[in-house]
Amino acid sequence: MIPLLTLSVLTVDAKAPLAVKAGTGYGPSRKVADVTISGRVIDATTGEALAGCNVVVKGTQRGTTTDANGTYRISVPSESSVLVFGFIGFVSQEVRVGNQSTLNVGLKASSSELNQVVVIGYGTTTKKDATGALTTLKSADFNRGIINSPEQLLQGKVAGVNVTSASGEPGGRQNITVRGPGGVRTGSTPLFVLDGIALDNSNTGGNSSSLNPLNFLNPQDIESIDVLKDASATAIYGARGANGVILITTKKGKAGASNLTLSANVGISKIANPIDVFSADEYRRQVVALGGVLDDQKASTDWQREISRKAVTQDYNVGLSGGSDRFTYYGSLSVQNQEGVLKNSQFNRYTGRFNASQKLLDDRLVLDVNLTASQTVNRRPPNESISSASVTVVGAALAANPTYPAYDSTGAPAKYQAFTNPVLTLNLQKDITTINRVVANISPSLKITKDLVYKLNLGVDNASSTRDYQTLASLVPQQDGRLESVYGNNQNVLIENYFTYTRGWGNHNLTALLGHSYQKFSIWERSWSINKFPISPIEPINNAGLGQDLTLANNRPSGSAIENELQSFFSRVNYQYKDRYLLTATVRADGSSKFGANNKYGVFPSFSAGWRLSEEPFLRSGPFSDLKIRAGWGQTGNQEIPSKITQALFTSQVSASTSYPLDASTNYPAGTTYTRLANPNIQWEVSTQTDVGLDFGLFKGALTGTLDYFRKVSGKILLEVIPADPIQPASTYWTNVPDMTITNQGVELGLNYRYASQGGFRLDLGGNITFIKNRVDNSPYSVITSGSASGSGLTSATVNGYVNGQPIGTFFLREYTGIDDKGVSIYRDTDGDGIGGTDKDRIAAGSALPTKQFNFNANASYRGFDLTANFNGVSGNKIYDNTANALFYKARLVKGLNTTPEGIGEAAESINNSAPVSTRFLKDGAFFRLNNLTLGYNLDPRLIGLKQWVSNIRLSATGQNLFVITKYNGYDPEVSTDRTVNGISSYGIDYLSYPKARSFVFGLNITF
Amino acid sequence: MKKILILTIALLGLNGCTDLNENVLDEASATGLTDRQAADGNLAPVYARLPDIFLHTNYFAIQEISTDEAILPYRGGTDWGDNGIYLALHQHTQTSTDPNLRATWGLLTQGISRAVTALNTLPTINDSNVKTYIAEARGMQAYYNMMLLDLFGLVFVKNDPQGVSQILRGEEALEYLKSEFLAVEPDLATNVGPGRLTKGGVWGLLARLYLNAAVYRDRYNTQPTLKSEDMDKVIEYSDKIIGSGQYQLVADYFSIFNADNHTNKELIFAVDQRSELNGHNRLAYFSLSGDQFPLPAFPSANGTDGPAITPDFYRTWTAAYAPQDPAGIDPRFYRKNMTIPADSCVAAANVVMDRGILRGQQYGLLRVNGAFTRCGSNYRIGRLFYVTRNRPTLPVSFSEQVDFSVAGSNYNTGYRVLKYEFSPRSQSGRNLGDVDIPIVRLADVYLMRAEAKLRKNNDVAGALADVNAIRAARTFSTPAPALTTLDLDLLLRERGFELYWEMVRRTDLIRFGKFEGKWTEKTDGNPQKRLFPIPQTAIDGASNLPGYLVQNAGY
Repeated sequence: MIPLLTLSVLTVDAKAPLAVKAGTGYGPSRKVADVTISGRVIDATTGEALAGCNVVVKGTQRGTTTDANGTYRISVPSESSVLVFGFIGFVSQEVRVGNQSTLNVGLKASSSELNQVVVIGYGTTTKKDATGALTTLKSADFNRGIINSPEQLLQGKVAGVNVTSASGEPGGRQNITVRGPGGVRTGSTPLFVLDGIALDNSNTGGNSSSLNPLNFLNPQDIESIDVLKDASATAIYGARGANGVILITTKKGKAGASNLTLSANVGISKIANPIDVFSADEYRRQVVALGGVLDDQKASTDWQREISRKAVTQDYNVGLSGGSDRFTYYGSLSVQNQEGVLKNSQFNRYTGRFNASQKLLDDRLVLDVNLTASQTVNRRPPNESISSASVTVVGAALAANPTYPAYDSTGAPAKYQAFTNPVLTLNLQKDITTINRVVANISPSLKITKDLVYKLNLGVDNASSTRDYQTLASLVPQQDGRLESVYGNNQNVLIENYFTYTRGWGNHNLTALLGHSYQKFSIWERSWSINKFPISPIEPINNAGLGQDLTLANNRPSGSAIENELQSFFSRVNYQYKDRYLLTATVRADGSSKFGANNKYGVFPSFSAGWRLSEEPFLRSGPFSDLKIRAGWGQTGNQEIPSKITQALFTSQVSASTSYPLDASTNYPAGTTYTRLANPNIQWEVSTQTDVGLDFGLFKGALTGTLDYFRKVSGKILLEVIPADPIQPASTYWTNVPDMTITNQGVELGLNYRYASQGGFRLDLGGNITFIKNRVDNSPYSVITSGSASGSGLTSATVNGYVNGQPIGTFFLREYTGIDDKGVSIYRDTDGDGIGGTDKDRIAAGSALPTKQFNFNANASYRGFDLTANFNGVSGNKIYDNTANALFYKARLVKGLNTTPEGIGEAAESINNSAPVSTRFLKDGAFFRLNNLTLGYNLDPRLIGLKQWVSNIRLSATGQNLFVITKYNGYDPEVSTDRTVNGISSYGIDYLSYPKARSFVFGLNITF
Repeated sequence: MKKILILTIALLGLNGCTDLNENVLDEASATGLTDRQAADGNLAPVYARLPDIFLHTNYFAIQEISTDEAILPYRGGTDWGDNGIYLALHQHTQTSTDPNLRATWGLLTQGISRAVTALNTLPTINDSNVKTYIAEARGMQAYYNMMLLDLFGLVFVKNDPQGVSQILRGEEALEYLKSEFLAVEPDLATNVGPGRLTKGGVWGLLARLYLNAAVYRDRYNTQPTLKSEDMDKVIEYSDKIIGSGQYQLVADYFSIFNADNHTNKELIFAVDQRSELNGHNRLAYFSLSGDQFPLPAFPSANGTDGPAITPDFYRTWTAAYAPQDPAGIDPRFYRKNMTIPADSCVAAANVVMDRGILRGQQYGLLRVNGAFTRCGSNYRIGRLFYVTRNRPTLPVSFSEQVDFSVAGSNYNTGYRVLKYEFSPRSQSGRNLGDVDIPIVRLADVYLMRAEAKLRKNNDVAGALADVNAIRAARTFSTPAPALTTLDLDLLLRERGFELYWEMVRRTDLIRFGKFEGKWTEKTDGNPQKRLFPIPQTAIDGASNLPGYLVQNAGY
């Protein structure tokens, strides 16, 4: 088979049999009555029935699917009709009806899914022909349950990819890295490409890094996710490829099989692991035991329970798909209403999608259109401030005196003079972010000659957002009302033109790609606020005009507008000899308006080769159904650098830090100052990656696996640095630090085993493990600090520090060694100055980056029942428990603030011992989680007499986060509160994070 | 087919010619200024960071908390822990990563840089003020460098904005500063103070520079060798100021630190704070209790239970006046302002804080549920408790004892200082105050002259005359009694009485050889701590120029 690059990136399904042999005529039909055909479709190897197999009359829209026993019944126009049998993971078959009335068919499994189509950017290939390190995930493999964003679909599914939710907040940020972070400040989020449109990773709304910009996608619209990991695979995305590329492909219609799918899911969630603070009784005992003054209000309140709830999630989806030979469509509408486990927090999403493909001009022109529109509404729990990621109401509940009643005798939240009832706090604040986003692209492709295809891709992605942050006026606790609103708009326009040339002759196959891409990003934001709303039933959100105080001191509006352009030229050549020697070369030249005048364009090359040993005569008879060695090298860039940093700026403004009175008048002079120095040499960060891999299949494809070694070295690290001479107009300037490198090195192993019994029992066992090491070298700084600690007594302390020879995410802390005889903490004196615990005594005490990630999944099915389990875990990482550092120590309990048994665990500790940032609060972050367990049952519609209308009914129950084994005693070890300092990323800090939920989801899925 | 090909190429061409120049939409460099605007716009930034330099956590913290005048424990185990930096500063165990040192360094170097920018731009501007402005910018460059020399032991000489600064230390630095001040003195105005640098200001700075010259020449020596000529210069410049007749010792000591002190005759050079622009109340609010709310209009503008004076410093007062209480004898120690009527109700205008060193039970506005308790249109004044610190039974009653022990770190420990007025003109409470912060004032000049007389030839009589002139001037209430004897120890004590919490203490203690002394929670005797460490970030930043920026000894 010629491994042709399918012309459209949108055609992803391997089986798509109908699109392939276009133009095959079918004879003139004789005018006779319809013939009814029935039969059974089985797995040719195992004899097992195939349920849900598509049976389509070729060239028509007539079709059906097999039931749970693999049987079907269909009427065809004539004996000359051809039936096409197609099923995921199997080679489709076409059978001419002839004069038979029963047609039993055995489908052959497509060998180890070797012919599975993988999307590689500006084209597709098949798994067996790929030379880069990439992984494809089909919708059937996705995680299930309550899903907010696509990262969650692939958590734990792909070796080398680490997905960590920042907190348990619905719609909250997901941190995703592919083969480790490669920058200090640039962030390490991979490039996401949705149906050929490269998305911008900027926040889409509300001045907040806490919301995930990918929340807008309906997970049920996603057909497959392809993860490009090594440089040979990502170099086609040049300056944006360094952190990996994730290609998301949405569902397309299939000719002939018209489907209507309805699904409804209802989920119940609860806080999975509340923090073990003292109960009221224990609190009474402990406060007295420590010599504190007990303020006992006689109640017994579990404040965590008071601010949380059993949260209900409802999720409804309607999907339509179908089409004819020349026109296919897919459409969907979905609603997801998700209550957060904390009261008054909520995430709602409404989406609509329409994808269509039309063939014209004798099928020479294929027009693909994708359109999605969505609205997400996040209601977030009370934060410290509009830009804070930590949840103050969580802190209030953890520390609150448990003897205070939450409600008064009338059932209203109780009000106290010297005590803030967390339930009141919860009601006094509202923080709502609404984002409307439309992503559309149209991509015609034209077959110019037999071998040459031209494709145009025009795309637009527009997100507009509003965030309203309201504080209600109140007497107890006394506060003024305030409303702050932030409006934003992100626009991303893409124009791409490319040619694909495909030719095979003799033993040679060649595919060449040449293209141009232009992309423009425009982002603006404006905010304003107004103060002093009266106490009134009218919420400020609904009538901002009721605010009574508006001063430039307290309500100065702000705004920003940024425009960036990216222009690229790219090319790729794939060459194959005898179907077993594979070569790929890629080059992309990227120019960005963010780069300095002296470095406008960067060139990113890559080369890779593959050798399919299993095709060699000497191995044909061996145990390997597949054996391929791959090797690749390439350079990619990271252009996620701030805008405008290459340009000088001197401004003239009246402000406290630039102006000064020169006389008695109150017209103050506008001070002219430099706020930024020019640096025309600024460029992208460069990462050079080498990958050696092995793909193998054994026992006729029952056991398959992939093994990869990679080494990714990132250089030209971009930092805001301090000049050697401190006398500079601006105290810092941006530069690419010479020599400094960040290296990610590791091994990934993925294994999958399949078993199917004659009796219809199927079992899939899979797993992957990643060993990864990250290291910073040649940094000119003794330490680059990040991760500012929070809480009283912790001002100015940082938790993360990047030092040479240690990984990113290192915790750079003084080392706590215990309590001395005065009851005071002692710290190791590492610099030998005789004083333990100065800043100079800090050590690299471990990193937030795991050194091992492991995942395991199992899928069993038998007679309509199926059971899927996914486990995932990490080890080798640590977590800084800033929550405990700020809240749980003896001195706090003595003052009447609740704490945990751990907080008073040191018997010798003085009740006035301070708790500065130290390794005392650094904890092991390893965990192992049963993250997803689904039991499903496919009900045979015949059993309930719906055979005529319904082709499949599926009932399912999913448990999410059913258990987690960990030593960590915060809410959850998978956490990262954003505590960035000066743009330097923070890692592994847990501060008043939104608690993680355990959920049970019940689903009903009907296909018509 | 050809048509489509042409169309394609046209499309390619259409969007293929972007030059990728960055289009900056939300910022613009300053253009189109008039000469006056340009001249003002260059000078104003040179001064503009002064309020930030003189912030409670910047220059104030490093000049006062490092001495016996101020101590800041970890209040109640919840406040001002700040990762131990205030304990370290007091115990002289600070490190090169100290954030307050870094911030102060950053502001001073920025001030110098702004002066360099101004000095390169001003000569190109055609405005009548330019000559004075150039002198002021150059004088301020020298002043910031003088602070760097005092704190970090070095100065940066820079004239060409594109060049690399020359670093000078010791004698060379001292000579550089002298020559700079002398060079600008003739061109400075006399009548633009106290907010801007004037002739009087530079005379005061020169007197201060000469007074400390021995230290600056030879920082770590146990007994700096004094030069008689230096003392002559101190006397000469002090004489110029006193003889100018432009400044006067004022009768009301605390009026020097009032919100309306801009026209106070005692100020020679000061940070001009305005409530509309750049002011703060941080020096007032730092030390007060979290339950002291000085302004009826701002129910959230309270103190922070920050630093207190050490018992050691307090005892210098009691020892001086025993058996009498210092409050009754020295008007600089304490002023009672608020009288509480029988019904405890006071009109808003009469809610005025006591000033000076606050001891014992405090009374003030009562805050319940975030609002002040009223009696009709008046405000109720009462005994204060630590309600905001969750300790409603603990009275706001300041004790003498304060240290880093459990008891000594409680919210109420240590006598507090309210010297700078909590400005009622503020628009936001804690910020936007308008007290001008004195940099050089006349009483300091008298005391410098007295010290020079003593140091030069032990002219006790001359020195006593200066010291007693100050004491006698405070006639708003009964002035403090005249001193009858004087030596260097008594003079240092007198400087403490007159200038406490005015950010000269660390410099004074070093000059008097007392910085290695022992006081509450402070035992360190390492003379290398006379200099602060250069911030690690600056050292790291200069690591590509080996030997350029060398860390001070001992850090």
